Amino acid sequence: MIERNNGQRRYDSWSCRRSLQSTIVRPLGRLRIALALIAALSVVMIDPAHAQEAQSAEAARTIEHGKDIFKTKATCQFCHRWDASGDQGYGGNALSLRQTKLTPAQVAETVKCGRPGTGMPFHDQFAYTDKRCYGITRAELGNDVPPEPNAFLNSDEIDAVVKYLFAKAIGRGPSTYEDCVEFWGTDTRQCEPMKQ
Amino acid sequence: MRILSPAVALIGPLLMASALTPVHAADMTFERALNANKEPQNWLLYYGNYQGYRFSPLSEINTETVKNLKLVFAVALGGLQSGGRYAFGNLEGTPIVDDGMMYVTDGWGSVYAIDVSGGTKGAIKWKFDPGIDRAWAGDVACCGVNNRGVALWKDKVISIALDGRMFAINKATGEKIWERKIADPALGETITMAPLVVRDLAIVGPAGGEFGIRGFIDATDLNTGQQAWRTYTIPGAGEPGNDTWKDGQERWKHGGAPVWETATYDPESDTIYQGIGNAGADWDPQYRPGDNKWAASVLALNPTNGTIKWGFQYTPNDPFDFDEISEHPIIDAKVNGKDRKLVVHAARNGFFYALDRTTGAFIGGKQYVDKLNWTTGLDPETGLPSNYDPKTGVQVYTPGTHGMRGEPLANICPSHFGAKNWEPTAYSPTLNMLYIPSIEGCDGIETVAQKDFADQGGTLKPRERFSGGSFKMTGRLYGSLKAIDPTNGDIKAAVRLDFPNYSGALATAGNLVFLGQADGTFTAYDAKTLQQAWSFSVGTGINAPAISYSVNGKQYIAVLAGSRQSPFVMQNDPSLKYSSTTSMLFVFAL
Repeated sequence: MIERNNGQRRYDSWSCRRSLQSTIVRPLGRLRIALALIAALSVVMIDPAHAQEAQSAEAARTIEHGKDIFKTKATCQFCHRWDASGDQGYGGNALSLRQTKLTPAQVAETVKCGRPGTGMPFHDQFAYTDKRCYGITRAELGNDVPPEPNAFLNSDEIDAVVKYLFAKAIGRGPSTYEDCVEFWGTDTRQCEPMKQ
Repeated sequence: MRILSPAVALIGPLLMASALTPVHAADMTFERALNANKEPQNWLLYYGNYQGYRFSPLSEINTETVKNLKLVFAVALGGLQSGGRYAFGNLEGTPIVDDGMMYVTDGWGSVYAIDVSGGTKGAIKWKFDPGIDRAWAGDVACCGVNNRGVALWKDKVISIALDGRMFAINKATGEKIWERKIADPALGETITMAPLVVRDLAIVGPAGGEFGIRGFIDATDLNTGQQAWRTYTIPGAGEPGNDTWKDGQERWKHGGAPVWETATYDPESDTIYQGIGNAGADWDPQYRPGDNKWAASVLALNPTNGTIKWGFQYTPNDPFDFDEISEHPIIDAKVNGKDRKLVVHAARNGFFYALDRTTGAFIGGKQYVDKLNWTTGLDPETGLPSNYDPKTGVQVYTPGTHGMRGEPLANICPSHFGAKNWEPTAYSPTLNMLYIPSIEGCDGIETVAQKDFADQGGTLKPRERFSGGSFKMTGRLYGSLKAIDPTNGDIKAAVRLDFPNYSGALATAGNLVFLGQADGTFTAYDAKTLQQAWSFSVGTGINAPAISYSVNGKQYIAVLAGSRQSPFVMQNDPSLKYSSTTSMLFVFAL
């Protein structure tokens, strides 16, 4: 995604440069060049706003990426429910993330390292091969080593899923019909029971 | 506008009809089903026969020739989409083969008709996609997106989908003739099992023991697509057995007892034997004091009207999630020198049982799993767990083997996944040997006091999990394949497997037993010794039992592959952690 965005930005720069050369520089004299410079400067002046827009678009993409990991790639929702409100049963006694007091760094560490002695899996594929997680190794944990995950996640992916959780679940009250539709979409009956 | 000549106008539709309606095999009849063993070239029924044997009479592939067995073709299937709580669908199905045409399903219930008559490739002739609302159905599937196969009836294929519908499909074209809604995901009900067709009725039931359903067995009249009968697996108020729910708050209405594996059928007495699943809430027996009939049981029923002839409960007040949905093979054998009509069962609770299939009386039982700690044995008269206490509503069994409210993690052996889950046994009538694929090891149960559903004054909504706690892995699970004598439960041969088994066995007249594993290993064992005779890796997890068929006298072995184990199974199994799933049919021959 990041590579694609970078590529898009590079393409836009090239396109803009060509546009300046072909449509402004060659047909016009010095006056026009001066006008073009003013125009270019005005672009520079409004650039911060564009940058902010780009940044928030980037943030939105990261949250969407995090949702995809939560929903499908790592299937966090199998245990924590789609709204991260926690559950029991075949997903283990999974905590409510909506009510957690953990900080983003702590949530990231939990996703990365899992929780020893519980059903919360680790997602860093090298967790417990060295002391990167809580300063302990697989050998030291014995049977308390957390389960293998549905999918390993890299640091960007862990960052995305944490950002998603803080944007859409953590610290929020009970989920709503609108939250449900945002998560599942409109092509399913999944949210109908929440309408009542 | 182009005008057709009268001749073309007359002949055209005939040509079209001919092209669209290929010559097909004989219609599937009750007579053919009763005599499936007379058509060894076909695999007509889910278990190969009504009696639940998974035995092929073919012997071209045998202990001598199996070393030359090789992959002859493969077919990629679909059904890998995500939905609900799951990232993909699994393949757990049993292929049905009739006259060179194979009918298989993927996890999301698409049916594929595959022409395997050429022997060198499988050509998909049609595919029927039921069009499931995957989020809706997948969110209340307990343990995966599964579909275990179809049944044949007359000129139709009868299939089911996870969202609770049954379909009658034109066997030649794949066109849907009718559909019927049987189970309702709005109530936490789904269907994963292959239908059992007896005469003109298709019999199925719903999964949902972890979602607070009230289980049932349901028959559809295939001539009309309408319900013929429904029998609830938990007796209603005033019915015999309802008094085994002693909570006084009608918790039987959400008491589970689901049905998610195909019944066996005894034509002689016209009786089906249906295994029944766990009581709900799974791990909080204090929520539901009493024996909780007919959870964790087998029911003998009249297939014509669904009346219960008898029931036998394996684990009363089951606190372990010991579903007993899996197959109940029918065997006639001498026991202690006396001819007996047996129905047998390798139970999830770790014991092998032999019952009198006419009366349901217990004949004998024996532990077949390596480690069992929840009881000290079976009562030789009743078959009840020997530490079952008839005076109490909440069974403790061996203290510390299941969670009680407020108590620390309990350790249960076999694990709550069972000694044998759904994965079917195979029985060789020529060797009188039952082959049990098992899950070996232990795990822990954490009990949480179960909340009530809203219709019983609580806060829980339909479709929410209803498990009374959870489980925790306490060590590595492994697997085994054991050959036992079903007349006495003696283990005659055994092999330890690296992984807990979730695929099921096939036995053949070539004195071989075929079994797939979670790492993709597909192995043939000598049926007498269980020594490995041949093995091939398909490179992805196998969660489905193999079958055998022949075309033009040449024998084939077919198996579906495509699964990935849950994190709990993979815990402490590092060799599986990078495994990927797929959706494939593999076919082998000499």
